[in-house]
Amino acid sequence: MTPTSDKRQSGNPATQAKIDLTVKQQREQKRQEKLAEYQKQLAKRRRSKLVWWIVGSTAAVLVVGAIVASIVFAPAPAPSYARGDSDGTGIEGVETFTNTANHVEGTVEYAQTPPTGGDHNAIWLNCGVYTEPVPNENAVHALEHGAVWVTYDPAQVSDADIAALADALPSTYTVLSPYSDMDTPIAVSAWNAQLKVDSADDERIEEFIKAYWRSTNAPEPNAACTGAYDAPGKK
Amino acid sequence: MSDETSAGRSRRWLVVVIALVLIAALGFAVGRFSTFGSQAVAAAPGTSSPEAGFSRDMQVHHAQAIQMAMEIYRKTDDDELRVLSYDIATGQAGQRGEMYDWLVQWGLPQSGGPMMQWMDEDGTGHEHGATADGEPMTDDEAHEAMGMASDEEIAALEAATGQEADCLFLELMIRHHEGAIPMAEALLALGTDARALEVAQAIKNGQTSEIDAMRSMQTRLACSS
Repeated sequence: MTPTSDKRQSGNPATQAKIDLTVKQQREQKRQEKLAEYQKQLAKRRRSKLVWWIVGSTAAVLVVGAIVASIVFAPAPAPSYARGDSDGTGIEGVETFTNTANHVEGTVEYAQTPPTGGDHNAIWLNCGVYTEPVPNENAVHALEHGAVWVTYDPAQVSDADIAALADALPSTYTVLSPYSDMDTPIAVSAWNAQLKVDSADDERIEEFIKAYWRSTNAPEPNAACTGAYDAPGKK
Repeated sequence: MSDETSAGRSRRWLVVVIALVLIAALGFAVGRFSTFGSQAVAAAPGTSSPEAGFSRDMQVHHAQAIQMAMEIYRKTDDDELRVLSYDIATGQAGQRGEMYDWLVQWGLPQSGGPMMQWMDEDGTGHEHGATADGEPMTDDEAHEAMGMASDEEIAALEAATGQEADCLFLELMIRHHEGAIPMAEALLALGTDARALEVAQAIKNGQTSEIDAMRSMQTRLACSS
């Protein structure tokens, strides 16, 4: 549109300067303008790219942070009611059984010797140290209440070892008594669990007590082991 | 030109995939957060904690209180003493069951280290859990320190009748209660578990007022001690 031959005159010096430009110069100027425009566009695009990078990486960092927080600040897991390292399964030689738990009168034939559970007398044996054999039917009722019953063969275990056993046992919920017809010098029994050992200082006795003494394995672990029957020979 | 479009297209896909991964990851985190409230309190007390020691020893202590209370409940002729012994036996059986369950819930065995040893962890020089030579107490020594009755005293209570039995019960039970109070105080000083502290406070308050009730019963029954 710009006249190329006879040039206009303008009072405005800027317009006049434009008029004064040669075609070549004008083309050059246009190219420059286009270039500037292009560069502006480029810069704009770069800026928006940068914004997207910032938004994107911030979002990524936030999400990663949220995941980390959800793990780091997670509360301890709910209780499992598992007995942790005291469930007894890791103790070498422990045998476990399944027994009934009815109240009956008279003598009972027990599946294990000494018994670890089964039908029993309505009156439980009071816990403590006995110097004479105690009736199975009452002792099993004490096992049902969470007691650990330690039996020893008097023919195979010395008085010193009997005293050591008595010292090693918890002061409540344990019965210590002689038992003649066993296939082991010492048996440690709880409800449905039993460990047979040869000597009073066997470390597994303590592990067995940790696992089974008043454990949730017994049907009635909070019932008393006092106030019922003192068998003959109670110390 | 076609190269540029395919490059642009694959970049767009990349952005979409990244966005989806981020959304999924956010969902994962939100899912984890949403389970926080339904889970148990943080950090259950460990096997050598004051809470575990208190729970174990106080169960032994309560078991004997129940035994003595049931004994006098069976044979006393005094109505006030009968209802007090009913109160002690049932109340302490409930508390004992709760303490049993703390250990169950914390995944700990009911048996632990030497009795009363947990009471020394404050380092104040109270020699609760040890004898003068620094050895841990035997169970019998700990029972005595906790105010518990000896086997002979239990046998005497079982043998006694009438006013003699009532008075012996009151004497033994007052001493027994007095032994519980330092144990409760030790947990209040050393413990952190909110419910255990609450129970310790309840034992301290309840047994203090029961001691008062038993003292006035001693006067009423003309007990000599």
